[in-house]
Amino acid sequence: MVLLCHIDDIPEGAAKGFDPLQEGRDSLFVVRQGATLYAYRDLCPHYGETALPWRKDGYLDGAGQHIVCASHGARFEIDTGLCISGPCRGQTLTGITLEVTATGQVLAHL
Amino acid sequence: MNIIGPDTLVFGVDDVDACEEYLKDYGLESVGDGQFIALDGTSVIVAHKDDPSLPEPLASGSMLRKTIYGVADQATLDAIAAELDKDRTVKVLDNGSLEAQDDAGFVLGFQVTIRKPLSMPAEQINAPGASSMRGFNSLGVEKLATPKPRSLSHVVYFVPDFAKLEAFYSQRLGFVTTDRFSHVGPFMRPAGTHDHHTLFFIETPPHMQGCEHFTFHMAGPTEVVQAGTNMVNKGYQSFWGPGRHIMGSNWFWYFKSPFGCHIEYDADMDLHDEHWTAREMLPGADNSQTFLLEFREKWAPGGPPQQ
Ligand code: FES
Ligand SMILES: [Fe+2]
Repeated sequence: MVLLCHIDDIPEGAAKGFDPLQEGRDSLFVVRQGATLYAYRDLCPHYGETALPWRKDGYLDGAGQHIVCASHGARFEIDTGLCISGPCRGQTLTGITLEVTATGQVLAHL
Repeated sequence: MNIIGPDTLVFGVDDVDACEEYLKDYGLESVGDGQFIALDGTSVIVAHKDDPSLPEPLASGSMLRKTIYGVADQATLDAIAAELDKDRTVKVLDNGSLEAQDDAGFVLGFQVTIRKPLSMPAEQINAPGASSMRGFNSLGVEKLATPKPRSLSHVVYFVPDFAKLEAFYSQRLGFVTTDRFSHVGPFMRPAGTHDHHTLFFIETPPHMQGCEHFTFHMAGPTEVVQAGTNMVNKGYQSFWGPGRHIMGSNWFWYFKSPFGCHIEYDADMDLHDEHWTAREMLPGADNSQTFLLEFREKWAPGGPPQQ
């Protein structure tokens, strides 16, 4: 289990990337919707080795409705990670289990 | 047909503000009305995807709405109009430019080129045995620099059938195939330039049809890497590079973007003429680059050696 941040570090409706293993680039990201957090590996199933965003933390579309891969426009459901349009339609982002402590610390099972 | 190369790419995007900021950070100059120009006047135009002045989008929803080619003169424009008018609608727009679709449905424009002739040195290097290129007391690099893109170099399309499009561009518009990746697609240049390619196709399923990337030419590899480093430092995400391609020999660094495609910096592309014979290579990592580097934060070996 690795400490990522405090839940309040992720604004409501936004996403944030993390580099918990100090690899020099974000390897997972968390999307916050209310009190619910969703976390996925930052790898697009289309190419397998490509991270999703075009800018640090730019994981969501303008309306905040879907997770988007900037490379070729794949769109994913925030709550399931399922790709609903784009080149990897039907494939799914790899989920990561999170734990939020009573004080709001966000931990990831890697 | 004396087509010189792409003058302008027109995009209809979701997030206009993000795209405009991106192009400024990339190094293009904003001249109003969503247009961002390089040093020779070639440009990218950004509008909202629902802007009614844009041509219809492709069924795939690609944000690239139009590729506008610059041609040498009015006679070339007339020849293109006569050729394409044989089997498709050719519109003459208010500004005198032509608009028509290619055989995959990409919207093309043709205009007498707006490119301004550039007269500036390429990146200069010194090497033993070569007469000094940079000259005495002329420094090779600045610690901080914001290099400016010089000219729109090439655009790459995802296409459902590269053979069909290669036939269209060669037979109808006079493009030449300079090299090809087997089963993927050709690199093509129009008759009015010696650049290795201004157009490249990658065959994909039809639902991916659109723009894969576009790029502007820089003065040399130092500018590619320095401009790319500036992008990284602004939080933009590298997609591939820096490195050097084999076909075309161009240095490259690709970035992800809010345009639904990658945006590249390139430099030092090969020039070809009619004495060149096209090569064919298998696609894949080995034939895509002679080497690949990767960004890391500034670092230096620290302190004196430990006792
Ligand atoms: S790598 Fe993500 S859509 Fe292609
Ligand atoms: Fe390129």
